[in-house]
Amino acid sequence: MKTTIRRRKIVRAAGALAAAAVAAVVLGGAADHITPTVVIEKQADVIRSTLPDARQFFLKTVKIGRRDFARIERNADFEPEDPKVKFYYGQGASGDPVGVVLFPQVNTQHGPFEVGLSIGPDGTVQAVEPTKATVETRSWVEKAVGTGFLDDLHGLTPGEEPTEALQRLRSAGIGKMPTYAGVQLVTAVEHGLALYRVLYADGGQG
Amino acid sequence: MSAAGGGPGRGGDRRGPYSLRAADRSVKLAAVLFLLVLGYAYIFAFLMVRHYAGTTPKDVAATYVPTKVEASALPTESKSTTRALDLGAMQEEHHTVDTQLLVQDSHIHIMIYAIVAALLTLIILGLDWSPPWRDLMIVCAFGTGALDFAGQWLMKAGLGGFAWLTIASGWGMTAVYVVVLAGTLRAVTAKKRDETPIPERTNP
Repeated sequence: MKTTIRRRKIVRAAGALAAAAVAAVVLGGAADHITPTVVIEKQADVIRSTLPDARQFFLKTVKIGRRDFARIERNADFEPEDPKVKFYYGQGASGDPVGVVLFPQVNTQHGPFEVGLSIGPDGTVQAVEPTKATVETRSWVEKAVGTGFLDDLHGLTPGEEPTEALQRLRSAGIGKMPTYAGVQLVTAVEHGLALYRVLYADGGQG
Repeated sequence: MSAAGGGPGRGGDRRGPYSLRAADRSVKLAAVLFLLVLGYAYIFAFLMVRHYAGTTPKDVAATYVPTKVEASALPTESKSTTRALDLGAMQEEHHTVDTQLLVQDSHIHIMIYAIVAALLTLIILGLDWSPPWRDLMIVCAFGTGALDFAGQWLMKAGLGGFAWLTIASGWGMTAVYVVVLAGTLRAVTAKKRDETPIPERTNP
């Protein structure tokens, strides 16, 4: 009798622990889904590589005022999330400007997508490098970048539609999520160009 | 599995649904391994939190308190400052969690916290603790996870002072884990002679 009760209790406890083990597996699967941010390329490296002629670097931090905020909203149909925008610009040996880099970021439910946007002295896009994604989105970003759509953004000016880049991206057949990631990068570039036009090229100091 | 008849009786009724102390060796092994692997995961969780959010109230608040301000709260004109930059000494931006990312983090983490708390509860129920202490630990196991994210959302609402709540909850989770681990190790290493004999049941 004693042994039967004991066995029954062992079976019951084993069942509870088996359920716990199943839950742990579920837990493990869910834990894999946590998406910390990953740095694809360091900001300093992007500045250095996209402004190769720069001999001196400067950081201009603009705190957005109400008027410029309204202009950005009007021009690009977006509201900057951070009221401080940083522009990293370089000067050549003779002190001439060689370009400016900023790091616009689009926040989504899949985490942030950040690009290093390098703009030449003529006000057109010189280079675009993805700098930040998440563990989940990094592979999507890499797949999208593999289509070469970022090259189509070269020469883009503030306010110009990135039609060519979006066409290439959407016709590449890379799948839904990589295309989504690519669109986020294009959006970040558009936001960056709007910030550049209002806060940097046009003065922005108020 | 042995009787529900409680463990060493140092006052109070210690009757639980089962007793880990008297459980089959495999049950003890599973409980200990679960706790050890959970502790292993907690080490990396701590390293991740330290890397992405920091461990001081200031750093934690900087991760969650929104930088976004209402347009009406901005000064009329923009203002700028310029300084020379040493690229070699340039720091990466502090990692921030915006509202959308916090929604994603919350739906995953809160569920995971609940599952971990439930698994810890399964072990707690067999630790022959007094009912008030057992209930307190169960409440703490579930409550710390909930308060962790309550703190994060309150910071997201602009109340940076609640960084303390998130930090305290994190340490609270660790404390619950350590107490359960200690109780479990004590139960599984107890000598057989400590076991209370199984009461005989009379069948009709």
